[in-house]
This record gives sequence, structure tokens and C-alpha cells, in this order.
Amino acid sequence: MKKAPLLRSYTLFYLLFLYGPIILLPIFAFNDSRVVAFPLQGFTLQWFGEMAADQNLRNAAWNSLIIALSVATLSTVLGIFAARASVRYRFPGKVPVMGLIMLPLVLPEMIVAMALLVVLLSIQIPLSLFTVILGQVLICTPFAVAILTSAFQSLDKSLEEAALDLGETPWSTFRLIILPLVMPGIMASFLICFTISFDEFIIANFLGSGQPILSVYIFGQFRFPAKVPSMLALGTVLVLFSIILLGFAEYMRRRGIAKAGGKDSGGFL
Amino acid sequence: MTFSDDRPTMIEFKDVHKYYGDYHALRGINGTIKAGEFFSLLGPSGCGKTTLLRTIAGFEDISSGVVMIDGKDAAGMPANVRPTNMVFQSYAIFPHMSVAENVGFGLRKDPRSKEEKAKAVAEALEMVGLKGYGNRAAHALSGGQRQRVALARALILKPKVLLLDEPLSALDKKMREHMQVELIKLQRQVGITFILVTHDQEEALVMSDRIAVMFEGEIAQLADPETLYRRPATRKVADFIGTMNFIPAEILSEAGDKVEVDAKGLGRVALDISQAPAKTGETPVVGLRPETLTLLYDDQKPTERETDGVIDEVIYFGDMTYYDVYLGGTDVEVRLSMRNVPGRPVLDVGTKVRVAWSPSALVLFR
Repeated sequence: MKKAPLLRSYTLFYLLFLYGPIILLPIFAFNDSRVVAFPLQGFTLQWFGEMAADQNLRNAAWNSLIIALSVATLSTVLGIFAARASVRYRFPGKVPVMGLIMLPLVLPEMIVAMALLVVLLSIQIPLSLFTVILGQVLICTPFAVAILTSAFQSLDKSLEEAALDLGETPWSTFRLIILPLVMPGIMASFLICFTISFDEFIIANFLGSGQPILSVYIFGQFRFPAKVPSMLALGTVLVLFSIILLGFAEYMRRRGIAKAGGKDSGGFL
Repeated sequence: MTFSDDRPTMIEFKDVHKYYGDYHALRGINGTIKAGEFFSLLGPSGCGKTTLLRTIAGFEDISSGVVMIDGKDAAGMPANVRPTNMVFQSYAIFPHMSVAENVGFGLRKDPRSKEEKAKAVAEALEMVGLKGYGNRAAHALSGGQRQRVALARALILKPKVLLLDEPLSALDKKMREHMQVELIKLQRQVGITFILVTHDQEEALVMSDRIAVMFEGEIAQLADPETLYRRPATRKVADFIGTMNFIPAEILSEAGDKVEVDAKGLGRVALDISQAPAKTGETPVVGLRPETLTLLYDDQKPTERETDGVIDEVIYFGDMTYYDVYLGGTDVEVRLSMRNVPGRPVLDVGTKVRVAWSPSALVLFR
């Protein structure tokens, strides 16, 4: 390690570049000044108080939570079906079908959002949280499929056959053997879809007309300099929330591996 | 080693074919497996032995033909209602369950009480030598222990047929030999029909009442181990089971069961072919097992026939020595095995020797 001082400083610089801006968030969230600039003026909890008192913000957060939970659930369920089918079965048109499912991963979200808006308006479906959910499921499902495919792939096929052989039906085999063993993958898929949905902006903005949604709301608030500190406070809360979520996911993943006796091949923490 | 033929038939194959797309995996399998028999499907990888086993278990549909299990046509009978249970090559132990939960998995729909089921699990574990292991986590077991759990899990349902898919291939040599004997004992104890898939000819010979040797989707020979070893039906079977020397031969005359051949290096031999394999149109060769050839030391006299030779290679095994010997000044090399006994030193490469052999040990392939 000592032989590569350049690589070491590169790593440090890289990490600083990545996380430095995020560290500024809590610093200014506790700073007793409406102007986001050094030098710091003193400690205050005022911005957190303002944030908590904001009724619109609370509505937006609540809506975002509903959307994110629905999107995560729907995408993961769809992902389970698609991943299972692609890993275990052969059917005509499998390659194009799987390709189309994964396509939104690389499709510009802007285009998806515009296309959906045009379609929804022309068939006269009113824009609502529901339309946002539909749009985001489209975006999140490929992530769920990718995560769950690897989970299903690592499952030894003879485990299923053993359960069938011991008298279980295909459905009870799925419930008793497959589901518990891919559970870490399901959890990971759920959390990732939740996170993607929670900070998704384009679809929320295009298809959620009128409804306050957190990402759209935050963007709107930045037009008012007086609101910036309380948005930083909100950002701090969200960072904390993400860390807790990620920690929980990692804990579940490690526990799953330990339970199944597998070797830890590294997660995201 | 012989198996009584009067036992009822447990499994019957009638002209079973299996295609995977264009690939013809099973090419007309016929044969019966008797109740209570220890039966082996032996062959190199890709010969269709595992496919055939899986057609019995119900994991593989057949393209044509009939598989009968205990007198019933198995077509359309799903794996979960067949009276068969399987020990998988990977053991397929459920990693999220304890040993007892694994063993008792098949009893889930059993109407017996919880206590009775727990007792059955304990008995099954004791039978495979894992008494008191019930509460252990399944993933914390060694390879040999997993194998035992898989056995207990399959046997607790008292199947009519136990299917074993290369169950010993993942174990080291010592453990494998130990488990071979344990499996034979277990099979005698429970009296269930065992069907073993293996590519290890030694394992098949040791364990089986009868063996089906398979090549390229066909049964090349179905016989008891001794017949397979002494009277292989084809040159390919002879080559696959143990070691056999093949010596080019010319057929000089043929009259009924008597054939006179000129075997290179051995000379003219009159053979009785009443038990010889059927003609296949191959170039004639005679086969000789290494142990039917004997090196003669100076003081020994040949019992039947004797041929001169020169030692080309010596392979020392402790209890045995293998010699590769050029016969009678020709380029025909045979391997012979000698038991190492006191007073009979291991000979060196290049030593001129006399080799004794018996015409009755020769198998003619043509």
C-alpha cells in the first residue's frame, strides 16, 4: 500500500468528491443563517422546526411514501414472475420479451414520461398518484428483474426437485423452498425500487399534476431562498433515512447468507 | 452375487426413447428391475444414465415407450405422487432448515401427530448414523453428513424405490469406500429397491446385484457384476469395466463352438466360444484380464500355456505390482497384475520373463 501514494490520494480525492457535498447538507441544516455560505453563524434547530411545521411538505412526503411503497411492491412482484420465468422456463419469444422488459433501463426517462403523458391524456385517464405509480413501475421493474434474476439463478434446481420428490406440489414447493431462499433478493429488490421511486423526479413531475410529491416539491421550494435552509434540513433527514434503510438491507442480507450457510461475497456495505 | 429371478418386477422399461430437440438421449431402453434389488446404471458421462433415472423419478418426460413402476404405467404421474424418492448428486439439503426439518420435510402432509413424526425423524437419523444431529443447521454439516441427511429424508417416506444419483461422487476416497459398505448394509436392512447411477465401475461392481452398462443412450449389457467382468458383451463394455488387454487375433478355423485363432504374441489357441459375445463385425481381438496372466519365477512351471516376454514398465501399488510386458518378441504389450508376496521380489524393467496364461480366460471379440 505504501508503494502507491498516488493511488491513495486519488482514492481520498474521489471519496471526498463523492460525499463532500452531502456532508455540507447537515452542516448548513444546523447553521443559524438563511444564507448558505461559510463562515458558519451558530447552531440552531429552527430549520427542522420549519420543516416539520410545513403542511404541504408533510402532504408531499406522505404521497411520496404511498407511491414508493406501491411501486416497490408492484415492481418486485412483477420482477419475481419475470425473473422466475426467465431463469427456469424456455418459451417462444423469450429473448425479445425479456429485452423489452429490460428496455426502460436504457430508455431516456424523459421520453418515457412524455409518451405516457400523451397516451394517458388521449385515453382520458386523469393524472393522479396512480398514474405516477404506473409510470414508475415501468422504470423500476427492470431493476427488480435484474436483482431477482441473479437470486433465482443462484438457487440449485435440485432443491425444487427434492421438494417435489418429497410430495409437495409446485405451488407449495415455491412457498416452502423457493420463496424463503430468494427472500434476500426480494428484500433487496424492494428497497432499491423504493429508493428509486422516492427520489424520482421526471415521471412524478409529468404524470402527477397538481399532487404534491416530495421530489417535485423540493425542486419547487428552491425557487424561494428563504426556504432553502429547511430544504437542507429535509435533505439531512432523508440522508439519515437512506443510511438506516441501507443498513437494514445489509443486515437482512448478511443474516440471509448466514442462515443459508453461504459465503459472503460482499454486498454494498 | 447372483440374484434370484423369482422376485416381482418393480421397474420395467419398454422401448423408452427420449429426445432433447434433435438430440436422441435414450435410444430404446428395455429391461426390468426387480423388487429389493440393488441395481446400478453405469456409464460414462452423457450416456443417458441420469436421464433414465430421472424418468423413473418423474422429472423427465419420455418421448415414447413405457416406464412401469410397481405394475403401473408412470406416464402422466407427477413426481410428487410416485412411490420413489431420490438422493440428489448435490444432496439438495434445504439450507434454511435444520437437520430434523429436512428429514421430516416429506411428512408435512402425514396425518400422524407431531410427537410421532418427531419419533420417525429420530429413528431415520439413527438409521443413517446421525443420532442427536436433529437440531443442527443443515448447512453446518460435512459432505458425508449431508449425504446421510439426504438418505434419511428419502427413506423416511418408505418409498418402493430409492433413486441415487451419483451420491458418492462428491466424497473423498476413504469416505466413499466407507459409504459404499454402509449403503449396501442399509439396503439389506430396509429391503427397498435401490437404483444407483454412477460412472465409477468399481463402485458399481462393489455395490450392485445387477448392473446396466450404458453407452450413448443404449444399454450395452445388463448383467450381474461377475458376468460383466468375466464375460463382457462387447469390447466397449470390456474396456469400461476394469482393465482388459486386447490382443489382435486372426481366425484360422471355426467349427461349432470351437474356434482356432492366432493371437499375436500368444500363438495358436483353440477357444470354446459357447459363452463368447455375439458377432459384431469388429476386427477380431482376444481379451485378457491382467490377473489371468501370471509371471513365472525361475522355480515355477506353467500350468497351461507359457509365453516369453520382456518387462517394459513396472507400476508398484504396495500390495500389488502391475507389469507391462511385451509378448514373445512382438510389439503386443499386455498389463498383468501380481500380488506382492515374500520371496517374490518386484522385477526390474528390461527383465526377460515367462508369462503363464490359460486359454479359458480369453474372451473373443469379433
